[in-house]
Amino acid sequence: MPLQDEARRRRPILLAGLAGAAAPLVLAGLEQAQWGPALLAAAAAGAAGWALSTRPAPGAPESPPPTAAAIDPLPYAAVVEAFEDPVMVVAAGAPGETAGHRLVFANLAARTLFRIQRQDARLITAIRNPQVVELVDEALIGRIAGHVAFAGGGAHDRTWTAAARPLAGADGRGRLALLVLRDQTDLRRAERMRADFLANASHELRTPLASLSGFIETLRGPARDDVDARDRFLGIMQTQAERMARLIDDLMSLSRIELNEHIAPQGRVDLAKAVTDVADAMTPVLRAKGVRVDWSRPAAAAVVEGDRDQIIQVIQNLVDNALKYSPRDGVIQVEVSAPTAGDSPPPRDAETAGLTLLAPDHRPGEFYALLRVSDSGPGMPRDALPRLTERFYRVEGQKSGDKSGTGLGLAIVKHIVNRHRGGVSVESAEGHGATFSVWLPLAATGQTAGLEAVVKAS
Amino acid sequence: MNEHIVRSYEDELNQLAAEVVRMGGLAEAQVNDSIQAFARRDVPMAQAMIGRDGKLDAMEAEIERAAIRMIALRQPMANDLRRTMAAMKIAMNLERCGDLAKNIGKRTLILAEAEPAGPVTRSIERMGKLVASRLKEVIDAYTASEVDRAVSVWSRDTEVDEHYESLFRELLTYMMGDPRTITAGAHLLFVAKNLERIGDHATNIAEIVHFEITGQEIVSERPKLDTLTP
Repeated sequence: MPLQDEARRRRPILLAGLAGAAAPLVLAGLEQAQWGPALLAAAAAGAAGWALSTRPAPGAPESPPPTAAAIDPLPYAAVVEAFEDPVMVVAAGAPGETAGHRLVFANLAARTLFRIQRQDARLITAIRNPQVVELVDEALIGRIAGHVAFAGGGAHDRTWTAAARPLAGADGRGRLALLVLRDQTDLRRAERMRADFLANASHELRTPLASLSGFIETLRGPARDDVDARDRFLGIMQTQAERMARLIDDLMSLSRIELNEHIAPQGRVDLAKAVTDVADAMTPVLRAKGVRVDWSRPAAAAVVEGDRDQIIQVIQNLVDNALKYSPRDGVIQVEVSAPTAGDSPPPRDAETAGLTLLAPDHRPGEFYALLRVSDSGPGMPRDALPRLTERFYRVEGQKSGDKSGTGLGLAIVKHIVNRHRGGVSVESAEGHGATFSVWLPLAATGQTAGLEAVVKAS
Repeated sequence: MNEHIVRSYEDELNQLAAEVVRMGGLAEAQVNDSIQAFARRDVPMAQAMIGRDGKLDAMEAEIERAAIRMIALRQPMANDLRRTMAAMKIAMNLERCGDLAKNIGKRTLILAEAEPAGPVTRSIERMGKLVASRLKEVIDAYTASEVDRAVSVWSRDTEVDEHYESLFRELLTYMMGDPRTITAGAHLLFVAKNLERIGDHATNIAEIVHFEITGQEIVSERPKLDTLTP
């Protein structure tokens, strides 16, 4: 089949041509920077070589890893640009100046993660972890490949492995090194979650369990024939069993949320509508307790980026909490407003102390939707505020009513909001009730509206 | 690369700022390590971080020398003078953060021999994480020259104080509960105090960054938690 043979021979050439055409296209697509095309190709070849050498193809363990040249030339620029892992190429600075190393290439993942604004930025402005700086130094100066694990810090506390190796074949450009990061957060989280879950669960389940076995013992012994006592004890036992079930539910949902905390939610949720849904669902409970709720919503929709079930859970937990501490005939205020800037809202009352329990990583020009839930309960002393999101923490000397909670409600709120890149704050003082505020980043359309509002106001 | 080419003034200023950022990374790592070593009662980690403190001192001296050389040779004015001074002052604050972290490391060595303090340790760890994130934010603000980010660190200064106040009470209760815990309790109190002071240095750096960029001091009085009223 001569025709097919001819086609096969042509394919690499065609692909090479494609790659050549794709590289400048990709470069034009990069908004801020035009990284040198030759360098990009060098970076691409290096990165591909690295990827291939660290991940050998299954089924061919003995054969040497294929080199970049041995396979069809793909549009490497686009390949590296689309890599999910941050990939960077670093050029050495003047001798003895570690802070002088510069980034000659950074793919989309790296530029997004480190907010690299311009071409030729210094490496130190992107990563300043001393271990990584040293690693790159060794790759550049000592020509030694290596890797380290490091924590990224910030609200989401991600864990990374950084791998650096010297890059060859870039004559006239001084020394180059390739730096690739890999996200290890999932792995670490899963490890820690198991340990935390066991520690928390075993400790908190012991109390209701001890009470259950105590009653069982009594029922089998002294109270065997006492009908009244049996009924009463069985009632208590049921309450305790329900409490244990609630506790396990909450611990499980907390673990699930924590596991995904560093992965931003994908959906769109109208916060005002979610509040309406919670309001409908809670009407019977509220009526039973004789508590009135003022629901105030904005006229327009407040659409945030989020997971609907989790947002509902946040509202539900906050209103549940307010309800628990509200006196009979009390009033709970639930308020949604948008757009606001991403900071703790101003205090509602001069008498109260305010504290931010969770602050999102600062992103300039971001707009948020604000949810505030206020109750007219007894309030909390100032020194209780920092401990509110601690698991199982209870403010001393306060009763949360007959149906006591699990002590995990606010911890759940905090972790959900952190996943949504939002913030949580509280204000309270003894005798002044408590207000919890949650702010969540608006979806793209809301961001534009926020900008328009600011422009109009100025 | 070529040493014969005279480096531009601007480049020298950038290099100075980059050195400060590098020092910031080291100070941050020292603070993080001290908190982690404290929370895990990890003696080798504490010893390793104590040993690294000398590096911070050397970097501060280096930055100071570079800044003085810059002032002497280039006679920077206005904006450039502010950048030079900011580098020097931030390096000073970072060096202090390193000293405080080292002190936490030393107390960790002592505390590792006592009984674990349980929930109080977790409260201190939480405060430590808050302080570390404050330090990270402010160095990020310096790196990217973002005024509003620096102001946001500055205006939330009281949060660290609130944590310290709450911890103070928690520790008193802990020590009153069992007098045998007083020795450990006193060290824990100093660990908390050191963290609070690292938070203060972060606030100082925020003020320096604000002045460096705008040429003006942050005007309004910083909201300060009054710790001496009963």
